Amino acid sequence: MTERRTARTVHKEAAQWAARADRGDLTSAETQALDAWLAADPRHRGAYARAAAIWSTLDRAKALAAPVHLKVARSRRGWGLAAGAAALAAVAAAALVSVQVFPRSSAAYETVVGEVKHVALADGSSADINTNSALSISMTPRARAVALERGEAWFKVAKNPSRPFIVSAGDIRVRAVGTAFAVRRMSGGAEVHITEGVVEIWSTAAPGVRTRAPAGGRLYVPASGEGPRSLAGRGGVDEGLAWRQGRLALEGMSVAEAAVEFNRYNKRRIVVADPALGRKGLVGWFRTNQPEHFAEVVGQTFGAPVTTDATTIRLGAPPHER
Amino acid sequence: MERLRQDVVVWIGREIIPHEPAVRAWLKRNAPSSIEAEDILQEAYCRLSDLQSVEQIANPRAYFFSVARNLLLNAIRHARVIRISSITDLELATLDDGQPSPERVVAGRRELERVRDLLASLPERCRRIIEMRKVEGLSQREIAERLNVTENVVENNVSRGLRFLSKAVSEDPIAPSRAPGKDHDRTKNSKNRP
Repeated sequence: MTERRTARTVHKEAAQWAARADRGDLTSAETQALDAWLAADPRHRGAYARAAAIWSTLDRAKALAAPVHLKVARSRRGWGLAAGAAALAAVAAAALVSVQVFPRSSAAYETVVGEVKHVALADGSSADINTNSALSISMTPRARAVALERGEAWFKVAKNPSRPFIVSAGDIRVRAVGTAFAVRRMSGGAEVHITEGVVEIWSTAAPGVRTRAPAGGRLYVPASGEGPRSLAGRGGVDEGLAWRQGRLALEGMSVAEAAVEFNRYNKRRIVVADPALGRKGLVGWFRTNQPEHFAEVVGQTFGAPVTTDATTIRLGAPPHER
Repeated sequence: MERLRQDVVVWIGREIIPHEPAVRAWLKRNAPSSIEAEDILQEAYCRLSDLQSVEQIANPRAYFFSVARNLLLNAIRHARVIRISSITDLELATLDDGQPSPERVVAGRRELERVRDLLASLPERCRRIIEMRKVEGLSQREIAERLNVTENVVENNVSRGLRFLSKAVSEDPIAPSRAPGKDHDRTKNSKNRP
C-alpha cells in the first residue's frame, strides 16, 4: 500500500467483500484477492469481521417472517396494520386478565458469572438478579412464592395484602406484603437487606421465631433458627445493594472478604497468598467487573506484590517466599 | 465466510456491535487529534475476530472498551509525539461506560426490534433483496433468477445494504429512533400491560 486509506474506504471494501463472500462461489482468483486484501492491514480484517457480524445479525429476521410478513411491513401502511394487530392482541389479553384476576404462572431465571438481570414478574413486582444466581417463581391465587436456588436477588414487591410474597433461601423464609428487599443465599443461612417497608423473617428450623425487620436493615439470618444478626458494620443498605449498579462497596471488609466478593462476579479469581495481607481492612467503591483495579489498589496501599495471569490474580507473596 | 469463526462473528453481532457508539464516543473524547477513532475501532474488531473462544468473556461491553483502550495506548506510544503526561491521564481515566447494567439485558431482548428497525431503514430495493436473502432464505443466485436481474446486481445491492446498515449501527443501535405517533404509543402501552 502506498498511502493510508480512510476508514470509510475500508468499510466500503469490507461491505463489497462480505457481499461477494455471501454469494458462496468465490473463484480462486477472488479467494486470493480477498486473502491478500485481508492480510494487507489489520483494519481490513476488523472491518470485514464487523460487516460479517452485521450480516449475521440479520439472520434474526427469520423470526419476523412468521407473525407479520415483511412484504407487508415494507410500507408505512404495513406498520399501521401491524400496530392494529398488536392493539387487538392487547384487547384480547386485557379480557383474559379481567376474567382471571390472579393468573397462575411459573417462571425460572438464571444469571451467569458477571451478569445482572432485571426481570418483570407476572404480578407487577420486579426482581434484579445478581451474578451467578438462579431462582424460580410460582404465582398462585393465594401466594407468590420465590425459591432462591443460588445467589442473590433484590425484589420490588407489588402491594397485595391477600397474596403474600415469600422468598425462600434454603431454610430461610422472608415474607413481604408490599416492600423492596434483597435476599442472598449463603451456605448456613441468608443475608437480607430491606430497602422499603417491613419484612418478616424466619427459618424453617424454628418457624415460631419470627423477626420483623424494618427498612434500612441489613441482617444475617442463620438457618439454625437463632435470631438474625445485624450487619450494620458493613455500611447501609445502599452499600449492600451496590451490585445493582455494577459496583461493590468494601465497607469494613478485610482484603480476604473482598476477594471472595470479587470472585462472585468474575471468572478470573483473586487469590490472597499472604494471610496477613488478607486480614488488612479496606474501604472503597469498586466495579464488580474490575478485580484488576482492586488488586492494583491493594498492591499500592499495602506495598504487596501482585501477579496476574489469564485465570488468577495473586495478591501478596506466600510467607515462605519472603 | 470461512476466514472468520462463525460463533465469534455471531457474538460480535449480538454482544459487541450494540456498544460501538459508546466505545466510539469514548475514543473520540480520549484520542489525540493525530489518531483516528475509526482506525482504532477497526483494529479492535480485528482483535475481537481473532478470539478463539468467547464464552469466558462475562462482560463483552467492558471487554470491548478495554481492547479499544489498549489499542489507543499503543497507538499513542507508537506516535511518540505525545507528552508522557497524557498517557498517564489516559491510563488513569476510568472506563465509566464499562459497567454492566440491568438495561443491557433488556436491550438484548429488544434485539428483534432492532433488526426490524435496521431493515426498515434500508432503501426499497436493498431491503427487498436482503429480505429475500435473510427472511425467505434464498441464495443470491435464486434471488437474481426470481427478480430477473444478474447476480452482480444482487451482490451490489447486498453490498450497498451492508453499507447502510454499517452506518445505522454506528449511530445508535440500542435505541433506534422511532417514527413518532402510533408506533411509539404502542411501545409505551405494551409496557403497562400485565
